[in-house]
Amino acid sequence: MIDATPNALRRRLLMALGLAGLASGPVGAATEWSILHDDSRLGFEATQQGGEFEGRFESFSADMRFSADDLAASRFDVRIDTGSVETGSSQRDSALPNDDWFNVDVFPQATYVADTLRATDNGYAAEGTLTIRNNSHPVTLPFTWEVDGDRARMDGAVVIDRTRFGVGQGDWSDPSVAGHEVRVVVDLTLSKAE
Amino acid sequence: MIAIRNTTTFWGAGAQLLHWLMAAGIATSMVLGWVMVNLPPGAAQFQLYSLHKSLGITLLALVALRLLWRWINVTPPLPESLPRHERWLARAGHRGLYALMLLMPLSGYVINSAANFPLNVFGLFQIPNLTPASESLGEVASLLHLTFFWGFVAVLTAHIGGALRHHFVLRDNILRRMLPVRHASDDRSQS
Repeated sequence: MIDATPNALRRRLLMALGLAGLASGPVGAATEWSILHDDSRLGFEATQQGGEFEGRFESFSADMRFSADDLAASRFDVRIDTGSVETGSSQRDSALPNDDWFNVDVFPQATYVADTLRATDNGYAAEGTLTIRNNSHPVTLPFTWEVDGDRARMDGAVVIDRTRFGVGQGDWSDPSVAGHEVRVVVDLTLSKAE
Repeated sequence: MIAIRNTTTFWGAGAQLLHWLMAAGIATSMVLGWVMVNLPPGAAQFQLYSLHKSLGITLLALVALRLLWRWINVTPPLPESLPRHERWLARAGHRGLYALMLLMPLSGYVINSAANFPLNVFGLFQIPNLTPASESLGEVASLLHLTFFWGFVAVLTAHIGGALRHHFVLRDNILRRMLPVRHASDDRSQS
C-alpha cells in the first residue's frame, strides 16, 4: 500500500532529489574552493594592557563552498587548531595554550560553521556558529569575495568577545589585562578545487 | 617666589620641579618594580607591570626634558670651599645619575620590545617597540635592568647621603638651593 499523504510525498520527492544529487555531485553544487595557505591568513587583533597586538593561527582547514549565484548551497565549515596560535611573542605564545586560555589539551580545535550566506550592500555575510572551548555562539561574518579566473580572494573581519567563549579565564578575564574584544580577520586566497 | 630659571646661586623652579617630580617617580618605579616581580602571575601583577612601564616611559621623557633644561640654563656652581676630590665625586655621581635615569627606562623598554609586548602609556597612547622580538636580547636587557637598578640604589644612596651631609654637617646651602625656599643670597639681591 503506498502512503499518499502529502508529507510522505514530500519525503519521497526529497529523497529522489537527494539521490539525483549524489549522482551528479553535491546538492545544489556551489563551487568548492581550497585554501592556498601560503597566501592566506586567519588572524586576529587583540589588546594586552591596553596595547594592540596581532596574532594568527598557523594551522586551520576548511570546506569552502561558495558561488555568488548559488548562496543557498554555499557553506563554510572551518576547523582551527587552537594550539597553532602565534602572536610573535614567546611569552604570550607559551601562555595561550594553557588551561585559562585555549586549553589546547582539552579543546584542540575551534570550529566555525556557516550554513546561511547572504548578499549584503558591501558584499556578503555568513551567519554561522563559532565554537571555542565547547562554547558555541552565533557569529555573523561580513566578507567580500572576489573571483579572478580560478582564484578567489575572501576578506572579512568580525569582532567577538573572547570571554563569551571562555578564552582568558580567572584573573585573565580582567579587560585591563587583555581586552575582551578581539577582531578576527579572515584573509584568504582560494583556488577552485579540481 | 623663586624664578623659573636657574641662577648662579640656586636652582630655579623648572629644575626643582623636574628634580622632585623625577625623585618621586623614580622611587615609585623602584618600589613598583620590586613588588611586581615578586607577585604571582595574574591580573594584579599585570597591572603593576603596566603602571611600571608607563611610569618608566614618562621618566624617560622627563629626563630628556631635564637634560635640555640643564643645557639651556646656568648650573649653580659647587661651593668654592669644596675639596677637589669631592668636586670630582659630585660630578661623577651626577653624571652617573643622569646615565642611569636614561639607562633604566631604556633597558626596560628593550625588555618589553624584545618580548614583543605592546606598550600603551597610561592607557593614553601606544608607542612602537624598539627592537624585534628576541628571547636572548630580552635576557640581556633584563640582566642590565637589574644591574642598573642596584647601581642606581648605590649612587642614589650617595646622592641623598651627600645632600644630608651638606645640610646637617657642613651646614652649607647645597640642599637648600634645591628646595622651594627663600635663600639668604637672593633675599639680599632682591631687597
